[in-house]
Amino acid sequence: MKWLRNTIEVWAYEMKCALLDEGVIVFFIIVPLLYPLLYAYLYNHESVREVPTVVVDNSHSQLSREFTRRVDATGDVQIISHCQDMEEAQRMIHSRDAYCLIYIPKDFAKDVAEHRQTTVELYSDMSGILYYKAVLSSCTEVSLDMNKEIKASLIPGATEQQISTFQYPIEYKYVPMFNTQSGFATFIIPAVLMMIIQQTMVLGVGMMAGEEREKVRKHIAEPHIIGKNPVEILMGKSSVIFTIYVIVAVYLVCVVPILFNLVHIWRWQTLLAFMVPYIAACTFFSISLSSIAHDRESFIIMFVFISIPLLFASGISWPASNIPMFWKGFSWLFPSTFGINGYVRITEMGATLEDVQHELNALWIQTLVYLGISYLVYKRTYGKQLWA
Amino acid sequence: MNGLNQIWAIAKREQKRMLARGIYTFCMVLAPIMAFLFFTTLMGEGLPSELPAGVVDEDNTVTTREVIRNLDSFQQTNIVEHYADVASARKAMQQGKIYAFYYIPKGTTQLAISGKQPTVSFYTAASYLIPGSLAYRDMKMMSEYASGAVGRATLYAKGYTEDQAMAVLQPIKMEMHAVNNPSLNYSVYLCNTLLPGIIMLLIMQVSIYSIYVEMKEETAREWLAMADNDIVKALIGKLLPQVTTWLLMGLFCLFLLYGVWRFPLNSGIWPMLLNMFLLINSSLALGVFFCGLVPSLRWALSLATLWGVLSFPISGFSFPQMAFPDTLKGLSWLFPLRHYFLIYVDQALNGLPLYYSWLNIAIMIAFWGLPIMLLGRLRKFLLEFHYTH
Repeated sequence: MKWLRNTIEVWAYEMKCALLDEGVIVFFIIVPLLYPLLYAYLYNHESVREVPTVVVDNSHSQLSREFTRRVDATGDVQIISHCQDMEEAQRMIHSRDAYCLIYIPKDFAKDVAEHRQTTVELYSDMSGILYYKAVLSSCTEVSLDMNKEIKASLIPGATEQQISTFQYPIEYKYVPMFNTQSGFATFIIPAVLMMIIQQTMVLGVGMMAGEEREKVRKHIAEPHIIGKNPVEILMGKSSVIFTIYVIVAVYLVCVVPILFNLVHIWRWQTLLAFMVPYIAACTFFSISLSSIAHDRESFIIMFVFISIPLLFASGISWPASNIPMFWKGFSWLFPSTFGINGYVRITEMGATLEDVQHELNALWIQTLVYLGISYLVYKRTYGKQLWA
Repeated sequence: MNGLNQIWAIAKREQKRMLARGIYTFCMVLAPIMAFLFFTTLMGEGLPSELPAGVVDEDNTVTTREVIRNLDSFQQTNIVEHYADVASARKAMQQGKIYAFYYIPKGTTQLAISGKQPTVSFYTAASYLIPGSLAYRDMKMMSEYASGAVGRATLYAKGYTEDQAMAVLQPIKMEMHAVNNPSLNYSVYLCNTLLPGIIMLLIMQVSIYSIYVEMKEETAREWLAMADNDIVKALIGKLLPQVTTWLLMGLFCLFLLYGVWRFPLNSGIWPMLLNMFLLINSSLALGVFFCGLVPSLRWALSLATLWGVLSFPISGFSFPQMAFPDTLKGLSWLFPLRHYFLIYVDQALNGLPLYYSWLNIAIMIAFWGLPIMLLGRLRKFLLEFHYTH
């Protein structure tokens, strides 16, 4: 059992190194601990409420006032001012006092009274797409209600049910599933959590490898490495990372969603069976990548920025079905792509292990491939001079 | 003149250092270009089309098949599969095969004909916000259309004209104008800030690395000596080749956005050139500022990384800032990307006169003052401190 003793020796020594290195601690512990808190605080409100909106009411009628009053009463839109004309309204939008404009034409009430269709125009500043959604959905909702009432007056004596049937011979119902509030935090945070696991690991492992390479250049030998073969070193080192990240992952993927009340309908067995290959794939991915770390810090500037493209490549924002094949292939190199998709579906959509089979297989394949690469890297690094 | 010569000599030394190490080429040229091409081609469609969706058609009549065909012909929706029941459609959603499905219960057609108001429903995977909401839009439109078709047919039968029928069915209609981005192009909405954001992040990191790597490799004294220990000259010389490279990258970024992809540029190119110039210099200033704040390559880099990554959510280009807690609204003033985004909205997107952006421009310039406060400290660090692990 010499190999086991050797592996444990490497493990114990590396664990001590990692836990005593403040640079590594930052990436392995502090960032994963604090970053989700920051994000949760940022998206605390989940959605955009009360978008400041101005009204140009050229109709000046009871009906138009009723319309604006009801729009104001919705949660998404707040009427902050009634403007005299379009110029004044535009000025308010340009100075960012308001983001949307509702224009009610002169003949609004007259048209309705004389049974002509009338059009209310909505304008939205496109610096944010959520303003657009807010004003459109609020106004549509109000107009549907008012249309129903107007029709009631057209068919005197009709019951509510008759009017409704007349308006909607076929009624419809919309059911948003899983993220029922369409909340922004619920949408983005799970993806960010999985990304944090991969990226902090890459940075921490890169930092450790960079340091080692600096020492090699200065001819400082690591005492615990001598007399061990590459397999033992690889097992020892990778299990240090794995051990630390099992704890980090429990916090990130279990505690954080519960703490911030994000949708979490997972079965813990499913989550466990999925997270193990994810952490394993990330571990060997990090070790493989760390072979190009020249010094302690170079990894930070090379791999932080890539988190942002990777978040998009996962298909959490721009849909995966519409990602060009080339970038899809690129995204398959990274565990985060499969990790994010699987985790979101398990956590928010209650997917079972069979439902995420594709992602699960991919992560195991990545684990094997990167394990192979890690072995080759270690063989090259430690194979020659130190194998004793 | 001597000063200029010194600066020039330091700049040449820096240029040599930059060319000698792959990390500079990677972070200043390859990485940004790859990121630019990634984002613009990823969202090249503008609005994702043909999103995979399913149907559960328990009724299966000529009418319902017509409805489904219509839905399939909508631009954002592509019906990929018919499911026997809601449970299996839901399963397909959990497997990530579809983003939404449309459910028509048995007897819908019969009930509609006999005026008993049946209900159809549609379900979206709201965890995927963008495809979920686009599928919602198509399916809602389809539902309105299907209902309207039955209603119109009834009214036509009673001798109504089309205008009259519409006035009865929908007396008040909404018409939406998405000002300056009528097609709701997501690439316009995101890339305009994502790309400069990547530049900003890399500028801060590279500048810090380039300064403190001198401390680590114990060449800082040699560098400062070339400027007679004058930190201002030393920094100008060092940053000159970097600024030049970043300005070229910034130009390339603007060329890609407004020249190749033809994104809205209602202000003309000059205000955006100014905006990019300000962003690059403010990011550099922040980088130097962080160096002066903490005398350690690693800690200064960590600070810059935190600041840089946080810039993306806090600048409010995806999730609007009005919904942030007040503390963060205040804090966002300290992020150059926030000001870049606001200047972009006023200028390129909305084409307002430049004076609308004066405050943001002034703050971007004020960032340049930040490192000045700490120059003495930075000089001391570089001359006296040693790199420690």
